[in-house]
Amino acid sequence: MNPIGRILLIVAYAVLGLAATGRSVVQITTKLDQAPLPYLVSGASALLYVVIAVALWRGWRRVAIVGTALELAGVLIVGTLGYVAPELWPDETVWTGYGSAYGWVPLALPVIALVVLLRGRSSADAVAGGVVSAGGDESSSDA
Amino acid sequence: MALYAGVIYPATLGWCLVLLVVGVATLVQVRLHRILEWVVTGMWIVTGIQAIAIVVLLLSGNDAGIVLTLGYLLATIAVLPLLGIGRLGAPDAAAADPDPNRPVLQPDQIARVDAGAAVIIAITAAVLAWRIAIILGAA
Repeated sequence: MNPIGRILLIVAYAVLGLAATGRSVVQITTKLDQAPLPYLVSGASALLYVVIAVALWRGWRRVAIVGTALELAGVLIVGTLGYVAPELWPDETVWTGYGSAYGWVPLALPVIALVVLLRGRSSADAVAGGVVSAGGDESSSDA
Repeated sequence: MALYAGVIYPATLGWCLVLLVVGVATLVQVRLHRILEWVVTGMWIVTGIQAIAIVVLLLSGNDAGIVLTLGYLLATIAVLPLLGIGRLGAPDAAAADPDPNRPVLQPDQIARVDAGAAVIIAITAAVLAWRIAIILGAA
């Protein structure tokens, strides 16, 4: 994985995790009974952001890919449900309006992260394939 | 309040803009990394002044919610160490870590990481300053 992209993703997820954690802690501790679904979704998104940041930092590629895929699905589902079934959402979450309150960063970030992570994986696969292929050629030439 | 609303809050936003511009410029031209380091130092100072002003305002009987205001203030301080995060990828720092996944960066990559982080933190710090100003009734 591109080290610059990886570290900048860690920074972005750390910032978003901090923002979502702060928001959800206030919401859950002070007014959970008013809108349990949105506030629990906010809490879940905060947890997800922190997990992705840690996974990127520790190099847990599979956890990071699954986490960002879940995040993208969450943004799309919650964003769409906000328009289709607004009665479910008495208050906003981090993902409401596809993350419009956060400058649509919650929508853009998982897309960018998935591109970086999957491109890194395909590059690694290509290198591994090249090594296997080179090894096979070598053995066949030896034979 | 007049000092905060008239000087400190606008200066904070202004310095965030400087950080953003220098961050973008460093992404384009890595030789500006030296200037970015000075601007980052300035960001720590500006945030420190902002923090002191906010604490003084809260202690002097402002009606703002203390939990929310201090929460945003702590968030403002918490994001600052991300400025200059490229130093963690310096060869000597990476060599001290047994983690094999730790990235090792070249000097130009460190500059670009610092620049990207500066752009993200500049926007974040400006939003946080704006939120605090709204809570305090200064914006």
